[in-house]
Parts: sequence; structure tokens; C-alpha cells
Amino acid sequence: MSMSAPTGGSNLNNDMNVTPMIDVLLVLLIIFMMIIPMSRKALDAQLPDPTPQPASTVNADQIVLEVLPGDKFAVNKEPIEKKDVLVRLKAIFDPRPEKVIFVKGDTTVAYGNVIWAMDQARGAGVKVIGIPPK
Amino acid sequence: MGMSVSGGGVKAEPNVTPMIDVMLVLLIIFMITIPQINAGFKAVPPEGQNLKPHPEEDGDQVLGIDDAGRYYLNKKPIRNEDMPTLVGQIYLQERPDYIMYVKAHKDLEYLKVVNALDILSRNGVRVAALITEQTPNTESLVESDRILSQKKEK
Repeated sequence: MSMSAPTGGSNLNNDMNVTPMIDVLLVLLIIFMMIIPMSRKALDAQLPDPTPQPASTVNADQIVLEVLPGDKFAVNKEPIEKKDVLVRLKAIFDPRPEKVIFVKGDTTVAYGNVIWAMDQARGAGVKVIGIPPK
Repeated sequence: MGMSVSGGGVKAEPNVTPMIDVMLVLLIIFMITIPQINAGFKAVPPEGQNLKPHPEEDGDQVLGIDDAGRYYLNKKPIRNEDMPTLVGQIYLQERPDYIMYVKAHKDLEYLKVVNALDILSRNGVRVAALITEQTPNTESLVESDRILSQKKEK
């Protein structure tokens, strides 16, 4: 072997051992490939029935959370501050066996605000989020 | 040198350098092509905390609504007036589920989203799964969501 370095044992190999690096890189690649499709999350919203039934569906004790322009909210028409939404919904849904809410967004508000409202509702224990018919 | 055979300079280790080169090039190609697949679709989904994990599956149908209100069906741009027909072709027949994933831009006017949901509901979709991203460093307050995401990690 024509080693240029004058010192050191003749058996020393100057090449870097890259095998562990490749192992780590491959594992990282596989982990990323697995995680990307698995990490999708969503809020399930029940869509209205396309064939609306007459008055019978109007249920007196249903909860409707409204998202109004200007970051305002209302629970069953009663205005409520943004910071009180979660507390109010918790107070409503904790004793209620029927964990259903309707989230009605004003047409001018940002989609993100409606999602925020649905998110709070789920945090307050709501199981089913419904979207009222237009 | 402690080699028993002749030829003092022969090494038995395979030369891995070309393999690394090829792998790195593949990695770069993938990194470039993945955003290209979504080209044209500009939508930042909203963020939330109490979300339900929905791992991707083969039969999933995704309706995208970008920041200008244009529709995308499974990442392919479609004409807005074709959307009801195309959705109907998928959902107005026997299916294992009637869920459609909706990936809409967070600052979109809610009117545009609600119009899309209204069209979906009249074309056989029963549940709209509104795709939302987990706010960093938060965890869902709903216990069943946490159990689902733990299962996913195993």
C-alpha cells in the first residue's frame, strides 16, 4: 500500500466509514415517508340532509353556536365574548347527554374563525358537529 | 499488511460512494417533485387543537379550495361548474363511506366554503372532514383523539 503519511501503523485506513451514516439516513427517510401521510387531522362536520323534512326537525333544545362578523359569537342567539365561548359550551354540554352542536358561520367571516369555533366545541365535549342548511 | 493473498493494495470493502451519490440524488428529486405535485394549489389549512386523526387511505377523496376559491379534486384543478357533477359521480353510488375531505384556505370567506359544503350535501356526501393542522405543541383535549394518535405512532 502506498501510504503517503510517513507515521502510523501500516494497517490504518484513511477512508471515512460511511456505512452507519447511510443506515441513519435510510431510517430517517423511511420515518418521514411513514409520518407524512399519517399525520393528517380534521374536524368532522355532518352536512345537512338534502331533502329537508318539514317542521319536525326543528328541535327546541338544540344548541346553535353562531360565528358573527367582528370576532363575535352567540350561543342560541345570546351574544358571548370570544374568551367565554369554551367555558359557556362546557357549562352547557357537561350535564347534557346529547353532545350535538350546530355551528352556523356568518357568510362574511373567515373560514378559520368557524374552524376555531368547531375546535372549541370539540374541546367542550361535543361529539357531533352539524352544519345547518343554508 | 496482514493480507494473505497477493496484491498488497486490494481492499475487500465495497465502494459505497456511488451508492450514496445515487441515494442523495434520489432524495433531492423527491424533495423537488413533492411540492410540484401540488403545484397551483395554494391553501394554508387553519390550525386547531382538538382534532381527530384521519390517516390517509386509498379511497379518500379530497376537495381542495384554494385562496382564490378555486376547486381541486384530489389535487387536480377542476372547473368550479364541473364540481357538482364530478362529486356526484363519486358519491351518488354505493360506497363504503360518504366522507369527503375538504382542505380549504384559512382566510377564505366562509360563504365560499359553505357554498361548497352545500353542493357536497346535495351530491351524496354525508360528512365533510375539514382538514385542519394541529397547532404546534398542543394536544387534543378529547381522550379518543389522543388514543388514536398513540395507536398511529406504534
